[in-house]
Amino acid sequence: MAKREAAMDLRRSLDWGSLAPLRIRARMVAEGVYAGAHRSARKGAGVEFGGHRAYVPGDDLRHLDVRSLLRHDHLLVRQFETETDRALRIVVDATASMGYRGDKAPGAKLAFSALVAAALARIAIRSGDPVSLGFIGGAPRARGVPVSGGREAFERIVDALEAQTPEGDAFRDVAVLDRALGSLARAARRGSVVVVLSDLLDLPPEAPDRISAIATRGRVLVVCQVLDPDEATFPFAETVRLRAMEGDAVVESDDAARESYLAKLGELQASWRRALVGRGASFITTTTDQDPVSAVRSIVEAVR
Amino acid sequence: MSFVTALALAIGVLVVAPYVAHRLRRQQAEERLFAATRLVSPTPPKARRRARLEDRALFGVRAASVVALALLGASPLVQCSRLAMTRSGASVAVAIVLDDSMSMQARTGDARTRFERAKAGATEILAALRDGDAASIVLAGAPARVALAATTDLGSARAALEALVPSDRATDLDGAMAIARTLVSELPQVDRRVVVLSDLADGRPEAPPIGEGAALPVWVAMPELAGVVPDCALLAADRTGNRARVRFACNAPKLGTGREVRLVTGEKGEKVLGSGPVPDAQNGEVTITLPADAPEGGALVIAELTGSDAIASDDKAPVVVEAGPAALAVVSDRRDDSVATGGAPVVEQALAALHVDLATRPIPQPPDRREDTAPFAAIMVDDAPGFTPEQRRALAAFTEGGGMLFLALGPRAAAAPLGANFEPFLANPVGWGTSTSPGADPGSAPLLGESAASLTDLGAKGRTRLAEQDTAAADVLARWTDGAPLFLRRTLGRGEVWLATLPFSVDESDLALRPGFLALLDAFVAEAKQRSAPRRGDVGSTWVFAGARKLEATGPNGPLTPVRDEGALRVVPPVVGAYQLVVEGVKELRVAAPVAAEIDTRPRAVAPSATSSSQGGGVAVVDVSWAIALLLLALLAGELVLRVGAGASTTSAKTAEAGPKSDAA
Repeated sequence: MAKREAAMDLRRSLDWGSLAPLRIRARMVAEGVYAGAHRSARKGAGVEFGGHRAYVPGDDLRHLDVRSLLRHDHLLVRQFETETDRALRIVVDATASMGYRGDKAPGAKLAFSALVAAALARIAIRSGDPVSLGFIGGAPRARGVPVSGGREAFERIVDALEAQTPEGDAFRDVAVLDRALGSLARAARRGSVVVVLSDLLDLPPEAPDRISAIATRGRVLVVCQVLDPDEATFPFAETVRLRAMEGDAVVESDDAARESYLAKLGELQASWRRALVGRGASFITTTTDQDPVSAVRSIVEAVR
Repeated sequence: MSFVTALALAIGVLVVAPYVAHRLRRQQAEERLFAATRLVSPTPPKARRRARLEDRALFGVRAASVVALALLGASPLVQCSRLAMTRSGASVAVAIVLDDSMSMQARTGDARTRFERAKAGATEILAALRDGDAASIVLAGAPARVALAATTDLGSARAALEALVPSDRATDLDGAMAIARTLVSELPQVDRRVVVLSDLADGRPEAPPIGEGAALPVWVAMPELAGVVPDCALLAADRTGNRARVRFACNAPKLGTGREVRLVTGEKGEKVLGSGPVPDAQNGEVTITLPADAPEGGALVIAELTGSDAIASDDKAPVVVEAGPAALAVVSDRRDDSVATGGAPVVEQALAALHVDLATRPIPQPPDRREDTAPFAAIMVDDAPGFTPEQRRALAAFTEGGGMLFLALGPRAAAAPLGANFEPFLANPVGWGTSTSPGADPGSAPLLGESAASLTDLGAKGRTRLAEQDTAAADVLARWTDGAPLFLRRTLGRGEVWLATLPFSVDESDLALRPGFLALLDAFVAEAKQRSAPRRGDVGSTWVFAGARKLEATGPNGPLTPVRDEGALRVVPPVVGAYQLVVEGVKELRVAAPVAAEIDTRPRAVAPSATSSSQGGGVAVVDVSWAIALLLLALLAGELVLRVGAGASTTSAKTAEAGPKSDAA
């Protein structure tokens, strides 16, 4: 009974570890990302032909319609319609499994994801793009942040991330996933960037299809799988009794199961990769013991 | 708190200690939360399981060692729950009366029958005997008999006891106890006992209590065997034509309610010929009409009682066709006798006065066909003028087949017409002449007992003279005072021929009016009844086949071994059922039926002294220290083996772990 209570407490609290304080760490990470960037994060994405208009002096000659000039002798300028939604929409998995922190990890997976999400938000806001934040699962009291921009938006996002705790069981309750992704899929328009931070371990079987569906209609989707070092290496040498943090799975195992575990993990990642890449999305894997700067940089690179 | 209680608690703590140590040592798998548990395959925790098994074995061995050590220390105090007599210290002579009657087949309590429990009790009593003790076994199934004469060879006693099987006999407790007393009363042992292992149900619940006033101490060792159990039995099943009458009896009213009697045939009783409900009465009869295609003669029809009760063996009874007692035929000249007596011939009146069980049937002349003699167990012929050849053949076959023939020879016999004689019963003709003797010599007729004195003055007008050759071939039962034979007996085949040198007619002598004549008839009828046992008899009663040289008998439990006693082959049916007999090549079917008294399972009273704990009880002190010591040694050896095995496996495991490192180095 006491073990059960302890487990519930662990599920409800978030182990930030050395990743706190989030605000400062996020800025540091963002600065680190800028230092390594060579091109604008906004360049190139989401520009489409929007019609013609008469040339007026001062227009960029690169946009002059040469074909119209030669055929009709009219000076027309090709208009390019910039996407109205350039927002960065961040979705953080805050279900119970994201609260796991192994011995080698600096913090829980949710803490690491929060750091990455905050850093991404800061980068986007510094670039002038609006940012929103949503959660898969998490505490009912902790709400997401709607699309907004400016310094205040970053503060709100950091506050929301700091207030979040790992709760909810997406494996049993598919509605948890639907609540997080349903509104996102409806609101995000062409050109918007969606970043999903999750361990992808306890999501229901239909999750790959539903998440990869975001990548349609011209939206950019990056899914970053955040794993604890324990989950990436299965370090258990002695016999342990493992209890899932979502669902009721209980397995007694030892180091003899390492190979089969790693093989199944590889299969899981491969299936996610197939589902996402097939729809033009990107799939990134990271562990919480890695430098968050490199994780954010990988996401930014994938967005480009 | 007594010292023994404290000691027991201490031993309990010692037994628990290895278990506690084992629990403390046992490694419990650590439980951890792990998000990717769903990807982990369960693996058999080999190392831990092996350790656990070894630990359990060691724990078991150590705990058993502690217990064995404690028992070894306390072995003089170890008491086993088994039957044993209290001993005075001297050698004991015990006669075990083991009841093997039908009521002992009742199952009460556990799955064992009363007989099996009694047999187990007898085994325990024998096991408690020591060198120098004597044991004998008497079976109380009627008739009571000795299964083992008194012997000090306890091994053979155990073997004899092991060979005993239950029977369907009636109970003869008093007879068995009398035999038991006889067996041990003359033995040199000072302490002589009679142990009764019975349900005490001998059909006489009002009889004097068992053990009351007995010359030797009587111990009713297992009083728990006694008790009334519900039982219904089929006592007889007779068939006449297409009707079968089945007689039943229950030991309580309404026990047969809801049950019915069925007539079945076939090897496994699979074909039902008819059935009828059992009335509510305690005793009664069920009449069942057989179908027209019911088997006749050869095929055996079984009447069986549906449902179940305490004793199953008496729920079946073979159906017997015409199972009435055999008859006695009398051939005499009714015209002459009716003048003298004013009614039936004098011999018939004498038989009626004797109240013999055999039905008396007067016939006008001796039968001249073999089949005409079939209904008769005996034939008495009064002063026949010889026999025709057909009559001689029929009577000779009758006699050789076991029948009894009485020939009273008078003046008509001496005046036989041409072609009529008495061969093969008499080789020579007989003569009739004046008697010089007034009567018989009583001293020459022990068969007649005190009645022989009544034959001293017969007032005979004459007597029959037999040839010397015929007299020499026969046994003389009584003589005239001058030495001439008066009554003779001669064996012919399996039967006998009795001869009288006087006719039964009161016109010739007063023989038929003398008490000695009744004694003669009584002896003749008794012999006839013994030779012609009815087709159905009580189980346990002896079937005698006098004169038979070869006999084969097969009962429900297999072949029976005939015993020759007093010149006659005998068979005792031990269980209820049908018996196939082959007597000198002639097949015969007989049925052993249960005894009605055996259904009464009310026990007899027991004298208080017979159940006193001073006689014995269910607790015995047994020295088992040697066995416990051996067990302790074996346990210690087992622990050594386990430890060596565990050490070897640990060493090999360490070697296996170190191997790759060495290679890498």
